[in-house]
Formats: sequence, structure tokens, C-alpha cells
Amino acid sequence: MMGETLRNLALLFIGAALVNNILLTRFIGLCPFFGVSGAMETSVGMAGAVVFVMTLASSATWVFWNALLSPLGVGDFLYIPAFILVIAALVQFVEMYLRKAIPTLYRAMGIYLPLITTNCAVLATATEAVKPGFFKMNIAYSFGFFEMLVYTVGVAVGFGFALITFAALRERLEVAPVPGILKGSPMAFVTAGLLSLGYVGLSGMFGL
Amino acid sequence: MEFELVIKAIVALSAIGLVASAMLAAASRRFHVEVDPRVENVLSALPGANCGACGNPSCFGAAEAIVEEKIPITSCTAGGQTVADEVAGIMGVEPCAVAAIVSMRHCGGGRAASKAYDYSGLLSCIAVARLAGGDLTCPYGCFGYGDCARACPFSAITMDDRNLPVVDLEKCTGCEVCVAECPRGQAGLLAMAPAEGAVAVRCNSHDKAKARKAYCPMCCIACKKCEKVCPADAIHVIDLLAIVDYEKCTGCGQCVAVCPPECIDLAGRDAIESAVRLDGRGPKVDGFVPREVVAEESTEEAPAE
Repeated sequence: MMGETLRNLALLFIGAALVNNILLTRFIGLCPFFGVSGAMETSVGMAGAVVFVMTLASSATWVFWNALLSPLGVGDFLYIPAFILVIAALVQFVEMYLRKAIPTLYRAMGIYLPLITTNCAVLATATEAVKPGFFKMNIAYSFGFFEMLVYTVGVAVGFGFALITFAALRERLEVAPVPGILKGSPMAFVTAGLLSLGYVGLSGMFGL
Repeated sequence: MEFELVIKAIVALSAIGLVASAMLAAASRRFHVEVDPRVENVLSALPGANCGACGNPSCFGAAEAIVEEKIPITSCTAGGQTVADEVAGIMGVEPCAVAAIVSMRHCGGGRAASKAYDYSGLLSCIAVARLAGGDLTCPYGCFGYGDCARACPFSAITMDDRNLPVVDLEKCTGCEVCVAECPRGQAGLLAMAPAEGAVAVRCNSHDKAKARKAYCPMCCIACKKCEKVCPADAIHVIDLLAIVDYEKCTGCGQCVAVCPPECIDLAGRDAIESAVRLDGRGPKVDGFVPREVVAEESTEEAPAE
């Protein structure tokens, strides 16, 4: 029984991080994917901040969903404004708290926190965490809190992993002999497409 | 029209909004951080290039450190005197003089120096330095692929037709980014010197003079002529290389005139008015002779000495 649960959680994590990678198979959150992937340093910072914010945001929206929106029966059409409200307030709060309590962490994440506030990847993950399969199919199943946590961390780690691999590729591309017409963003798009092929190729594995 | 649903939606959203605003209001009181307004002012006075020459990660970090009086108001070498004066004004202290430093290149070889092999990889000094120590025979000289020029946050460095980085002393702020970027920066190829330093020795080699002459016609030959001619006792051949003591140098330029391989160059921002205000615009620049010709000349000259 215990082994079965662990196996399911591991599959959930891998499915969220790799097979359904939010950036490269679902193409959600592409603006930071292209925006901050120019340098390794910034993308590592962004990846850390995303793991942090996504986990917090999804936990908060999960609580609001199960305590308020779902019992009232208004969740289906109200989830976007409600989640945005919760996430924005939460990120603001965390920013204030960090600034006071852990200034070094605030300095390190400073510019990324507000960037993430209205990030679609965060909203998508929060939505998916309360309504699994929302973007793909309607399945009548809802995560427990722990499952939701594993799922969210999986998505965030997948986001960070894709972002950092892409940043490494782009740093290498900087010095590669790319034809003049493709230099810069065009080449980044081509690279993202090829990288995405690799991730799409994972679908169907482990029955995911 | 289900009024009940509308009411529920309004209630739910207002409830979330109320909770969030109450939480934020409490947080803004509880986690209030006093920010010294001088930090903003100092930050706007600083150049904002985040070059890191002051030892702080960014100009914002430097502004904070200045306001907290952890580092002196003259810390911004990049900004120089004007920024120091402005910062002194904001901090309400007496302005004081900044000793400006600039980057100085200690190599005059460029295209004229002989190559160990033909390199056709990435056009970057760091890349070539990792391939068997570089394509230059001289283990101290400039590769000439321009990493420093690309790295310079103030675009003060350009590569000239000798394949050597030329520092525009008007733009150079002494931030040392080029020194950090240069694979031979630690070995003294690019080094900081006072902005008024009137002469520069364009050689960094500590090899035996004979070996040096074999691979570079522009090198310091350790003949000590400059040492003998200097009236201020400011230039000395130490470890087979002429070194200028800028504390003593008066900028008379006699060593420049006497140096047989024209390895000593006029430099300096303000010292000699007649010197073109560029690092490395010394005697040889304009009609610089390509490698083959120079090599022949140097072999002809060598026995005569």
C-alpha cells in the first residue's frame, strides 16, 4: 500500500516535471523562458524563485479553492480572478516579509518576485492543482494536499530544469557560427523548438 | 439568471479581497523597512554600469555601503572625481580628490609577434589561451582577439590595426573589468596605472632577452638605456623588464626617445599635452608595418646591436 502510494507520487512528479513539462510540451510561461534565459545566472535565480512562488501560490489557491470557491459552487467561472488575487497578494506579502526578515534572499530574488506575480505558468499550475487535467481533459479527480504539493514542485522543477538547459544552450549559441539572419532571437526559437521535440518524445512513457 | 450565484461570486471575491488587503495592510506595518533616502540619491549619482570595481556586486550595493559609511565616498573608481564630488554633496561631507587609475596595456607585439601555430577556432582570447597556452610564442603577450574590448562596460577599448587593444583614456574609468577578462591580466598584461602616468612600457615578458627578441621585434630588450637616461630615477629594469615608478615619473619623455625597440610609449590622460589622448598611440601606430616586414627588419638590426 505504502509502496503503491510512493510509486504514484514518483510518477506524478516525473509526469509533471518532464513528460508534461510546462515550458516545452505545454508552452505555458514562455515569456520568462525567452526573457531571462540569456544568461545562466539570471535563469538560475528565476528557477529558484519559480519553485518558491509556485509552491506557495498553489498551496494558497488550493486552500481557497477547497474552503471557499468549490463549496460555493462558483469556482468554475471565478477561478481566474480569484487565483490572480490570491497569488498577487501572496507574492506581495512574501516580498515584504523577505525584505524584513531575510534581506539577502530578498536581494537575490528581488527582481524576479514581482515578475512572477502575474506569470501564466504560476496561474496554470495553481489551476491544474485544484482541477487536474484541466487543460487536457475533464477527469473527475482532485488532488489531496500532499499530492498537490508533489505535483506543483514537479512542475516548478521541470520549469527550472528546462529554463537552465535552455540558458546553457543559448550561452553556447552566443559563440557559435550562426548564420547572420538567424543570430539572436530567431536561433533561440529554433533551439526551443528542437529542445521541445525531445520533451514531447517522452510522452507515453510510464503510461503518462 | 441565477441571482444566488451572482451574490455568491461577489461575496467570495470580496472575501478573498478583504482577507488579502487586511493581510497586506498588517504586513506593511509589521514588516516596514526604513530606507535611507540618501541611498536613492547616491545611486542616481553613481554611473550605474554595475562594473564591480569598488568590490560591491552592483551600484545599488555600493550606494548602500556608501550611505552606511562602510566604504569611502571616493570608492567609485569608474565615476571618478565628478561622482565623488556629487556623492560628497549628498552625504554632506567635504569632497576629496580621487586618484584616477586607468588600464594600461603592457604589450606592443600584436601582429608583429611570431605565432606558435595557426589558430582558427573561436575568436576569443580565453579560448585560444586554453589551446596549448595560446597561439602566441610569447608567453606574456597579447593574443589580440579582443576579449577586453568586448568586456569593457564603457566601450573604452578598441582593437587597432596592430591587433592590439587601445584604451581611450578619456573613457576608461579604471574599473578593471578588462583585467579580469584578459587571460593574461593576472600576469600583468593589462594593469592599472595612474591616469596621469606619462609613459608606458609595452612589454610584459620576463623571458631571457635573446629568446624574447626571437619572437617579438617590439619587446623590451632590457638594455637599461631608459634607466640611465631617466633624470628622476623613475624607470628601472627589474627582472629583465623596464618598470616605471609612477610616483617618481615626471613625464619628461626621455626614455621614450631613447628606447631602441620603441617599446616605451607616451601615455597618460593629462601629463603630456602633445601626446594623443589614447593609450598606445605612440611612435609606431599610424604606419604600422605588418609582421613579415618587421620580422625582416628586426633580423637585420639584431646583429648591429
